[in-house]
Amino acid sequence: MAFDLEQKPLRTWSHLAKNRRKPSEYDIVSKNLHYSMNNADAPWEQAPNSPMNMWYKKYRNETPLKHEDWDVFSDPDKLVYRTYNLLQDGQENHVQSLFDQFNEREHDKMLEADWVLALAQLYTPLRYVFHALQMSSTYVMQMAPASTISNCATFQAADLLRCVTHTAYRTFELSTTYPDMGFGVAERGVWEDAAHFQPMRELIEKQLASYDWSEAVVSLCYVVLPMLAEGVLKPLSEASRQGNDTLMPMLIDSQLHDSQRHQRWATELHKVLLADNESNEAVVQQIVDKWVPLADAAMDAYISAIPNSPVSANDAIAAAEKVRRDITGAA
Amino acid sequence: MAIHQRNDWYDLTRATNWTPSYVTEDELFPDEMSGSMGIPMESWEVYDEPYKTTFPEYVKVQREKDAGAYSVKAALERAKIIEKSDPGWVTILKQHYGAIALGEYAAVTGEARMSRFSKAPGNRNMAMFGMLDETRHGQIQLYFPHEYCKTDRQFDWAWKAYHQNDWASIAAKHFFDDIITGRDAISVAIMLTFGFETGFTNMQFLGLAADAADAGDYTFANLISSIQTDESRHAQQGGPALEILIANGKKEEAQLKVDMAVWRAWRLFAILTGPAMDYYTPLEHRGNSFKEFMHEWIVGQFERSLIDLGLDKPWYWDTFMEELDSTHHGYHLGVWYWRPTIWWNPAAGVTPDERAWLEEKYPGWNARWGQCWDVITENLIADKEELTLPETLPLVCNMNQLPIVGTPGEEHWDIKVHTIEKDGRLFHFSNEVDKWVFEQDPQRYEQHMSIVDRFLNGDIQPMNLQGALEYMGMEGVAELGKDAHGYAWIEKVKANMKKAS
Ligand SMILES: [Fe+2]
Ligand SMILES: [Fe+2]
Repeated sequence: MAFDLEQKPLRTWSHLAKNRRKPSEYDIVSKNLHYSMNNADAPWEQAPNSPMNMWYKKYRNETPLKHEDWDVFSDPDKLVYRTYNLLQDGQENHVQSLFDQFNEREHDKMLEADWVLALAQLYTPLRYVFHALQMSSTYVMQMAPASTISNCATFQAADLLRCVTHTAYRTFELSTTYPDMGFGVAERGVWEDAAHFQPMRELIEKQLASYDWSEAVVSLCYVVLPMLAEGVLKPLSEASRQGNDTLMPMLIDSQLHDSQRHQRWATELHKVLLADNESNEAVVQQIVDKWVPLADAAMDAYISAIPNSPVSANDAIAAAEKVRRDITGAA
Repeated sequence: MAIHQRNDWYDLTRATNWTPSYVTEDELFPDEMSGSMGIPMESWEVYDEPYKTTFPEYVKVQREKDAGAYSVKAALERAKIIEKSDPGWVTILKQHYGAIALGEYAAVTGEARMSRFSKAPGNRNMAMFGMLDETRHGQIQLYFPHEYCKTDRQFDWAWKAYHQNDWASIAAKHFFDDIITGRDAISVAIMLTFGFETGFTNMQFLGLAADAADAGDYTFANLISSIQTDESRHAQQGGPALEILIANGKKEEAQLKVDMAVWRAWRLFAILTGPAMDYYTPLEHRGNSFKEFMHEWIVGQFERSLIDLGLDKPWYWDTFMEELDSTHHGYHLGVWYWRPTIWWNPAAGVTPDERAWLEEKYPGWNARWGQCWDVITENLIADKEELTLPETLPLVCNMNQLPIVGTPGEEHWDIKVHTIEKDGRLFHFSNEVDKWVFEQDPQRYEQHMSIVDRFLNGDIQPMNLQGALEYMGMEGVAELGKDAHGYAWIEKVKANMKKAS
């Protein structure tokens, strides 16, 4: 590249100037920000053999999923920080007003006794699940090879904290109507010991401890999150109607908006992976094959504990598989 | 009551530690990422963040903040701040955005390190908000300068600087990767949030905001003070982590990390904020001097927060106090002299009135740095610009990656280079503190090559200044730094000389 003696100002960042399209706000603030991708020998500006450089070289640079130019990935929702807050402030206003109105009408007092028991066993312990997936998403963020992928993972992690928050709120609220049911105190024990949560805890602990980036992102976005939506939230929502719980379906409905957005970026990621490198398909498949049995077992155990579940474990497993087919574009 | 108060349910949002049994605690929180110093999970559960917020509160408040910052920008779009401001002010914008925007974005990764790997549930949640905050800071500080691209090629460096091997880029990355992206969760809590954000971000985001408002750049003043409201919240993650370390007998380890981070932060801010405040900001818009800001934000406040936690002042505090009078003057001289190697146009800031201000704020300035500027000034008056320009690279420190500068004295420069020789390689340091930092962690620092090492290794071709400029990412002449005022200040010097004679 010759040194330009008559260099002119550009209309945008130099890395976007070659595009014919006028850059969007999304492009300007999201694209091509991971400087740690520039030097393969030392991702971070420290000794090539420093512990963190070794971690990134092993788990990110040498990860089996490959792409010539990860920065071509764009969030299909084109979310930026500013619009994320707009979106979620709107959703939270909605949820807050649900909480407000249902409380006003003494919703919780009208719950069926069996369902209250089910909430303590099946719903309030979910804050551990949401939080674990929040943690997993922050890992996907910090190891992702493109800032555009990282940003999707950041917002996804925040969405899961949002679910933690809803659950904490409802847990406290239930404890005020049912002070002797263990709400707010027994959840850790249920999560750690109850049979219906153990396969899910096994999945989640093992997933969290999987540090290769390909493995982390594929297991989380193709397997664990579909399990959460299809094998936990939807069955819970369906079952709650029988227990006179009319708040739950509306709350979960709002959370599923986030799930759908997570599926959209996973779908886009898959498209980008296949467009660049054929070998990626087999890599994805291998990871999916490894994690699906754990997720299926988790759904099976969880749903079998839902009293008279309108959604069977097999339905949920099939629905999660359908989500995966949507993500991978398989017929 | 229909809506429950946050206080009633907040603790449940952070009752999220459980005992793993399908993997070990170490597999879930590997030491190299977690940095918990052997303190088990349950001991971290007492972590209590002093500033509490929740998801619905966060998105509401932040939505409003952004509405404010973006609407000020939109309202003042026609103010033509670039065309109308003094070039010294414009250079502050270029320097700031280039040195800060992608560093802010990298801080998302540092926050994510805590959010995933801290054993303290409260820390993990607060760091989630920290990730969002730093996403905001990265994005908004790309969005705002972007519209200036069309005015000047140097504004491309707002996005570009961290992708380059410019010496200033290397120095910024070497520091930020050491306290943000390249460390375990607890080190990030201590070094980034406590060591750096508690004090130093105030310097850049509040100190500079005062000057910006005075200079009429309300968009920038409003932007950076809005950023600081986030910083002052998420900076509070380090304190409770330090309390846990101290309670578990790890005071010495914690102190070491604080001492390293503060020294490193000082070096970078001495070259970044020091010249901006005392030389680039037009004289009539200067509030406090850099030294006065440092006393207010670092010496006063930071010292207090250290003592409150039961930590000690860093061992080098006396050296630090002495450097407040000198280091950034040397850095400024170096940056101005090596101006083609940077993406901003340094204002010399040495007209007679400015020198009088410097002498007042830093008694003895004329006798020391003034004499060097005399030589530069004489050369420029005599039309010998070439004598004020570099032909080679400066000697840089293997710790802070910045030029090694001394203080000019009456007879000689008191420039004393501290060195270590190891396995046939010679390492140079700015002073004994930088050398000390280096010695604390050889595995992290030793195999890193400074820009001068790279030059001597033949990585930079051709081996001359032009080769070096291209290696640093300069693609053309419009990107090279120049004197901000095109030497117009020389006329004021001449006028003054005429008056005197
Ligand atoms: Fe920030
Ligand atoms: Fe920050």
